[in-house]
Amino acid sequence: MTYLLSYLYCGVVCAISQYVIEKTKLTPGHINTGLVVIGCILSGFKIYDKIIDIFHAGACVPILNFGYLLVSGASEGYLKYGVIGLFKGILVNASAGLSIAICMAFIISIFFKVKH
Amino acid sequence: MNNEKYDEIIKKVIKEDDISKNVLVAFLSGGLIGVFGEFLANIFDNFMNTNDSYLAVFIVLVVIGSIFTGFGFFDKVLSICKCGLIVPSIGFANSMTSSAMDNNKEGFVRGIGSNIFKLTGSIILYGVVFGIIFGFIRSVI
Repeated sequence: MTYLLSYLYCGVVCAISQYVIEKTKLTPGHINTGLVVIGCILSGFKIYDKIIDIFHAGACVPILNFGYLLVSGASEGYLKYGVIGLFKGILVNASAGLSIAICMAFIISIFFKVKH
Repeated sequence: MNNEKYDEIIKKVIKEDDISKNVLVAFLSGGLIGVFGEFLANIFDNFMNTNDSYLAVFIVLVVIGSIFTGFGFFDKVLSICKCGLIVPSIGFANSMTSSAMDNNKEGFVRGIGSNIFKLTGSIILYGVVFGIIFGFIRSVI
């Protein structure tokens, strides 16, 4: 059952963004940025927590989850250290994914060349 | 030849992409990645707590995306699936790796270093700006 829910959630998010790309002149970069901002807004009002409760790991696959990681880190920092905690904590939860992405991109770009 | 005739010929030659087909393919392929993520999370659940396993899924997808981009068969799949691959975090890794790879001839600092955030920079910038605003809202509410 959880597999079906994950399938539906990821599929619907991908289908909606594909529809938006076809109907407007936005590029994939716009879509990714927009989805992260939407993820921030949804987690700001604690809607994304409920989405994760329902759809489990499926909710962690789209880039929306990056916004959730940023906002939850900032919120945890604020509750611990006050206003300075917002800036202390914003990248804490997202740091794992971001650092790995940077390291992998660096390693791959050293060893591989572009094929045409 | 006037402009109207030209437009008619263009319409005949270039067929518009079938929107419903593209949306369907994006739905199917995006869903498959979601199932793959759920499958990984079920495996990781044996070793760590739930939050960490979700993070591990994110990491594994990023690693897979980078390696596939390096070997060059990501672009072929991307041209078919389109948003099915862009929206999952694989697409995040792909855009970061490809912008670093495109410029690696110019050296470490001016090539890789200054171009690695060319495409993903906007994601990080607006993520951090909106993250601070909505992080504050989340903890106040």
